[in-house]
Amino acid sequence: MITLSQRREVGEFRKRYRWMALFVVLVFGTLIVRVAQVQLFQRNRWSGIAQQNITKTLELPATRGVIRDVAGRVVASNRPSYNVHATPGLLRIPEDVERIATLMGLSEEDTAALTTRLVELPENRRTHQLELYSDISREQLAALETHLAELPALDIVTVPLRDYPYATLGAHLIGYLNEVNETDLRDAPDPGIYRAGDRMGRSGLERRYEELLRGTRGYRRVVVDARGRALEGTRPQSLEVEMLKKPVPGHELQLTIDMQLMEALDRAFRQHPSGAAVVVDIHTGAVRALYSKPVYDPNEMSSGLSTQRYQELTSDPFRPLIDKTIYETYFPGSTFKVITALAALQDSVVDPMQRVECLGSIKIGRQKFRCNHRHDWVDLYDAIVQSCNVYFWELAEKVGLERINRYAEAVGFAERSGIGVNSEAKGFLATRDWYKEHYGAFRPGYTLNTAIGQGNTRVTVLQLAMAYAAIANGGTLYVPQVVQNVKAPDGSLSETFQPRVRREIRVLPEHLELLRRALTGVVNEELGTAYRARTREGPLIAGKTGTAQVVSRKSRSGESSSAWYLDRSHGWFAGYAPADDPQVAFAVLVEHGGSGSTSAAPIAVMVMQEYLREPEGEEPE
Amino acid sequence: MMAIGRTIRDEFDWPLFIAVSTIALFGVLNLYSATDGGTTSDAYVQQLYWLILGFGAAGVTVAIDYRYFERYGWVIYGACILALVLVFVLGKSVRGSTRWIALGGFSLQPSELMKIGLVIALAKYLHHDTKTGGRTLADLIIPGLILALPTALVLLQPDLGTAMVLAFIFASVMMLTELKARSVVTLIATFVVAAPVTWFYLLKDYQKERITAFWSRVGGTQADLLDSGWHAHQSLVAIGSGGLAGKGFTQGTQTRFRFLPDQHTDFPFPVWAEEHGFIGAILLISLYLFLILWALRIASQAKDRFGAVVAVGVGAMIFWQTVVNLGMVSGLLPVVGMTLPLFSYGGSSLLSTMLGLGLLMNVSMRRFSH
Repeated sequence: MITLSQRREVGEFRKRYRWMALFVVLVFGTLIVRVAQVQLFQRNRWSGIAQQNITKTLELPATRGVIRDVAGRVVASNRPSYNVHATPGLLRIPEDVERIATLMGLSEEDTAALTTRLVELPENRRTHQLELYSDISREQLAALETHLAELPALDIVTVPLRDYPYATLGAHLIGYLNEVNETDLRDAPDPGIYRAGDRMGRSGLERRYEELLRGTRGYRRVVVDARGRALEGTRPQSLEVEMLKKPVPGHELQLTIDMQLMEALDRAFRQHPSGAAVVVDIHTGAVRALYSKPVYDPNEMSSGLSTQRYQELTSDPFRPLIDKTIYETYFPGSTFKVITALAALQDSVVDPMQRVECLGSIKIGRQKFRCNHRHDWVDLYDAIVQSCNVYFWELAEKVGLERINRYAEAVGFAERSGIGVNSEAKGFLATRDWYKEHYGAFRPGYTLNTAIGQGNTRVTVLQLAMAYAAIANGGTLYVPQVVQNVKAPDGSLSETFQPRVRREIRVLPEHLELLRRALTGVVNEELGTAYRARTREGPLIAGKTGTAQVVSRKSRSGESSSAWYLDRSHGWFAGYAPADDPQVAFAVLVEHGGSGSTSAAPIAVMVMQEYLREPEGEEPE
Repeated sequence: MMAIGRTIRDEFDWPLFIAVSTIALFGVLNLYSATDGGTTSDAYVQQLYWLILGFGAAGVTVAIDYRYFERYGWVIYGACILALVLVFVLGKSVRGSTRWIALGGFSLQPSELMKIGLVIALAKYLHHDTKTGGRTLADLIIPGLILALPTALVLLQPDLGTAMVLAFIFASVMMLTELKARSVVTLIATFVVAAPVTWFYLLKDYQKERITAFWSRVGGTQADLLDSGWHAHQSLVAIGSGGLAGKGFTQGTQTRFRFLPDQHTDFPFPVWAEEHGFIGAILLISLYLFLILWALRIASQAKDRFGAVVAVGVGAMIFWQTVVNLGMVSGLLPVVGMTLPLFSYGGSSLLSTMLGLGLLMNVSMRRFSH
């Protein structure tokens, strides 16, 4: 102890310890408050990030629901599309590009285009994967896959693609998909529904039933470390998220449409460039065929049209973009005569047995109206069978415009049928006031034109078919339906659509009976306008021919070589079959086919006989 | 010296011993979890060896009356300076700075020992300083030089963190003495001038980047997380996701999946907080708080200036390292390389801390002797 130095005064220091202790406590207090803030109050936020850190979510797309026809034939399904993706930064130019070109069998032009595309890519995009080609052929796939190891920059990505086995047939009704855009992503009811690159229904049933068809996407999560390596089989306890959510496939639609019937119609229309046909079940309103010609290719629409291709489609005189069954309207022509007859019979303004002499023309006021030929003495029955205009003109004077319009409305004209798919035209019935407003004054001739389906009456092919169905079934006007049922992904029925009656038309059975006899006569009597379309075998068909004049296009389409054709009248045939025990009603329109008896009637008769012969098409479940 | 047998029984500072042992044991456990499954999974064994060595060294330190350290103060200080100089001759370079000397099988970091050397040198100087009233700047010249020499050598390595600790120890110790008001003003003015000089001429780019990243985070601009802010961000994720009770021992995802940088050296606290939650974090922080307050208590009971300064110096060393490390991992301070004493992996750091604590125990046990 003695060797050690003297102890020194520590009194000077004493007053500082309290301040030091206070400082230490304050600093530690701050740390504790901070730790409490992070661990207790911000816990959820940091936990979320911690879980995100160690999980990588791989999205599992849902399979879109299949659409089938009435007999279960696949109308829309999914197939794999093989897309070639590349990381441009890893591609050697030109060696790798040449290799790809050889393997895929690219033309020199395409190879050059690919090189340009890669060269012109901005530097900061070179590390991002790029889709080079989509939906490559099986041969290309096979060639690329065998050499994939030599091309590390390439990746082949499989994505489901919508496939329409019947191609253009029924394309308007079935519709198509294309990629979602920013607006769709923004307006989606739930932000998780769509991702950039997804496709959604854009028209037809694909659009109408988008919500049911698309299904719900799923995901698979994997645990990854900080370097992004997947650690299989690892599952930290603190991970509170679902690791797997299986995608739920979309619902399946079963249509009322019969694709075999559609194919039969397509064959029958082979000689005509454009037209439309509708076939409906008269007892339910179920639509068996909704055929419009020509049609765009749904596969082409879904990949996005070029401006040039779009112009081609819009300037095509046969208007492939327009669904002629429900969106276009036409003069009904003589098919309208049954409506005029119905009005006259119901309101008892005519004795159906009373004969009228047709001398080939009639003079009303100062105007002379021509019949198609001289029919001599005809009663109502004969007038329908032979389509005598004179008889109906005389009748029109008695019935009047208002009554005709009233019955036209009763059978569903000038009113949307309610099919519920795509936009539907309403059609048009001109009233006395309308004539006054547009033509200055009302003249009796307008009524006469209306009575024979010229005038200003416009109907859709579907409306006409529905009206004839009502005549055939005793006066029930149905809502046309194209979907029979919806099946849940597990195969159970989730919804079945029952027939929906729009209205019961109040008509006496004997009046309908008379009309039906006359419609049968049109095909089966020697003097009937569709007699030449009749065939010896098969069930009898009943119907009414019509020829709708076309507003001259000369002024519009100029000296186009097809102008003469486009000025020809449209041919109609509307009716039902079999004549003695009606099952289906139809309306067939051949655009620019001329007379209905030579263009539309043969198509209708041929297709109906084929359809009714088919055992499976006869009474679909 | 001859009275050791008696004093250990009667005057052994059990609270100090228990607090230190508990922190060190937690540190080993935490190290086991932090490195489990990784390439350095045996680090905890090495840490245990160092801990035993540390306790042994502390035991030797306790056995020698601290007044011997006072007597040989300049020798100890000189030896530490010599070791620092040797770093430049024999040292090995790791990540751009030269801090280690290879000693047989393991490496030693002289800058860690320098902290103790500085404490002893300052204690010796103040012990012999006869002044008891207010000091002027001139009185600070010699202690200032005692600080400046090792600090300059450490900055040359470069090791900003240790240089800061040295400066903090110095400042804390000098707070024991009185300084004239005029001198305080002059010091502050000097700092205002020195700060920009430090920023533009002394700091390396990576150090500036970390400080910038810190301030941008404080300012709410959330700088690119892939840069320097990434470490601090992942550290907060680890601490925050621990919640109240933690994810459980060896269950921390931030740790296991390598989201934490330097999880066994600079970032062991987030590992601890993630796995043991707020409860564990508060326990650990409380132990440090106790340790530092206890050091102040020992200082206040010391019988001479040397003992008091040594106790305050060792307390300051632990206090500043703890506060800077915890402040950095909890996002309150920029990320500077600073270990958590007793808790972080690292032999030299553990050894110098244990030596310091040995001195503290020494002062504590001899507070009654005359």
